[in-house]
Amino acid sequence: MLKKIRKWSRILHRDFGFFFIGTTLTYAISGIALNHMSDWNPNYSIETHNFTSTISLKKTTFVKNNILQLLDEIDDRNNYKKHYYPKPDQLKIFLAGGSSIIINTTNGKGMAEYLKKRPLFYQSNYLHYNPTRAWTWFSDAFAIALIMFALSSLFMIKGKKGILGRGGIYALLGIIIPILFLII
Amino acid sequence: MREIIIAMILIATIISCKTDKKEVEKAGIPTAKTTEVTSINIDDFDLKAGDFVNQEIALTGIVDHVCKHGGKKLLLVSDGAKIHVTSEERFDDKLIGSEITLSGIVKEERIDEAYCLKMENDNIKNHSEGKYNNDDFKKKKKHIEEYRDEMKQKNVDHLSNYSLQYVSHNETK
Repeated sequence: MLKKIRKWSRILHRDFGFFFIGTTLTYAISGIALNHMSDWNPNYSIETHNFTSTISLKKTTFVKNNILQLLDEIDDRNNYKKHYYPKPDQLKIFLAGGSSIIINTTNGKGMAEYLKKRPLFYQSNYLHYNPTRAWTWFSDAFAIALIMFALSSLFMIKGKKGILGRGGIYALLGIIIPILFLII
Repeated sequence: MREIIIAMILIATIISCKTDKKEVEKAGIPTAKTTEVTSINIDDFDLKAGDFVNQEIALTGIVDHVCKHGGKKLLLVSDGAKIHVTSEERFDDKLIGSEITLSGIVKEERIDEAYCLKMENDNIKNHSEGKYNNDDFKKKKKHIEEYRDEMKQKNVDHLSNYSLQYVSHNETK
């Protein structure tokens, strides 16, 4: 009986382990990225560029033409999305891809903030936040698989390296550490 | 072995075929609505929101910001208004800079003396526990004083902060 359990533990641990390699890496990468959210922007790298413009950008009906002219100078008019005035003397221009420009309409001093998606991190973080119901179901299946990995590991190896030997000490340590964090 | 592979493929197929209504709505595809929703000008929100507490309204504005911590808060703006929108689902950060017509339920947060006292106690507690440094403590204290001053100045026993609880949106062209 125990032999059969050991055999199936190995099969399930191995095959589901292969199947969930991509998902494990997704959650591991985004887990590290999101753990340190207060220290960095895990989705985008941000580049800023200061400039001064003489183009009049005060609020008028025709200001959009001047905004496009400004974009010709410092960026590309095709990136224009929308604009508004957060303060009477401050204009914010939104660009494609989440970038934006803030400019003081009185002295013409402005700052462009360019966002660039962090490859791998952006996609991993997107999935980590359960973007669709379907992904929620899939990630539930992954969580169940993690439980299965933990339980199957108890039976996979026999002898001194198994749960009754060295493996048991490791398992105990892995349980004690989270408990210590709860107590301290 | 073969059974496991077949089971995995079946599970993946079933999951990938599921669709989510809320996601469809968020993608900007309007879903059928049976009730009429009052549209108000975003610049009038602070003036009129009190009349629509717990009711659904629609307004048009530009998405200035989507909260990077979880993505469930959004700031809808115009030249004269800033409205906080909360959602149970994540907002797509591609919405930043887009003009959208958003439907949401008006929520009111009342700031009165009891609220200020609670804020004060929390501030003292957080400062003594080291969660707030001196600057945070002073900033919070000033903020509470500003609330009290505003109530005194307006001769009212409470201030109201209005926000929207997200229902749906459409991107305007």
